[in-house]
Amino acid sequence: MTCEQSRIYLHAFVDGELPVADHLSVEAHLAGCAECGAERDRLLALRSALQDSYEDLPLGLETRVRAALQAQSKPRWAIDMRALAFAAVAVIVITVGWMEWTPRSADALIARDVLDSHIRSLQADHLMDVPSSDHHTVKPWFQGKLDFSPPVPQFGPDWKLDGGRLDYIDGRPVAALVYQRREHKINVYIWPSQNAGTKAVQETESQGYNELHWGRDGMAWWVISDLNKTELLEFAHLLQQP
Amino acid sequence: MVKPVDHLKAGKVAQFEALALPHFKSAYNLARWLTRNREDAEDVAQDALVRAFAAFDTFRGGDIKPWLLTIVRNTCMTWLKRNRTESLPIDDQIPPVDPAQGPEERLLASASRDQVRRALEQLPPEFREAIVLREMEELSYKEIAEVAGVPIGTVMSRLARGRDAMRRILLREEPA
Repeated sequence: MTCEQSRIYLHAFVDGELPVADHLSVEAHLAGCAECGAERDRLLALRSALQDSYEDLPLGLETRVRAALQAQSKPRWAIDMRALAFAAVAVIVITVGWMEWTPRSADALIARDVLDSHIRSLQADHLMDVPSSDHHTVKPWFQGKLDFSPPVPQFGPDWKLDGGRLDYIDGRPVAALVYQRREHKINVYIWPSQNAGTKAVQETESQGYNELHWGRDGMAWWVISDLNKTELLEFAHLLQQP
Repeated sequence: MVKPVDHLKAGKVAQFEALALPHFKSAYNLARWLTRNREDAEDVAQDALVRAFAAFDTFRGGDIKPWLLTIVRNTCMTWLKRNRTESLPIDDQIPPVDPAQGPEERLLASASRDQVRRALEQLPPEFREAIVLREMEELSYKEIAEVAGVPIGTVMSRLARGRDAMRRILLREEPA
């Protein structure tokens, strides 16, 4: 091997990257050539100087990196848990809010319908389709006009049954019963409703009319009148008797 | 419900540390020479190691060192682009070695760490990375090619020219 060839191989030689045969050839040349041997020594001296310049890991870097790795796995959990908790709370708030709000809002719409219907029934002199104080007349009248058979309670002269009427509340035909307490007209609306179930009496008041409504045996009951609330509640109590 | 995933995550950290922790010093050393600044090197190395952990799923086994240093190297190069510093072409800035000068190996052997540091820092980054990966980290040509993303021939050429340039810088720096 010539010096020229040796110099070409020398970097790969000191780097241990030569195939065995070439490595041995360069080694043999270096043993006999002071010039090339000196060049190899210079390369090794440079390496040694560079290795002396190796920078040690700064104090605390390893700890910081490990903390960052922990943080990368753990806080994600914290965030997830927080997000989860937030989502759970949001679901509860929305659900409760919906449950609270929806029936109220539905009730509010119905209350509006009931009020409108009541006022209309008084104004238009169209209070009754079937004017009768006999529930045996009123009850059969609804047959074929409704998809349900409304109860038609009959009480004494204090709560006189005036008759019945077909009306339209909450987007469906309903039975409207008309009662009279002294000079006060009372409209009672009855229809089957999934939301009704069995629900205690609730009171509302608007435009001088008292409204009571409750649910019983899957029927929604709405009572409206300009009668005072105490008496109207008494009437509601009577209506709820089996 | 929470436990098993938490456990997996903790397992991933432990697994990563078992393989990568011994090479944290290499990660820092490479970052230190590529950024030429200790404070920046700490930030870049930490950033790179956290990135490596995030990408640990893509590690396909074998020696983790080249894989890890590739991420460090790429993080450094991104940092360098953002913090661009002037770097002259290697052959323009360094005068050739004067063959008449004294025994170079003695000079190299006696060169202070400071002289070596300055000489290395004067090299353009692609030469610096080849020198650091070979001389300090003792990576093979193949591994350096993998880390730097260049062919092996380029690695060999950069090493030869980089070493030559360092020697010239050190000789020039020797007080007359």
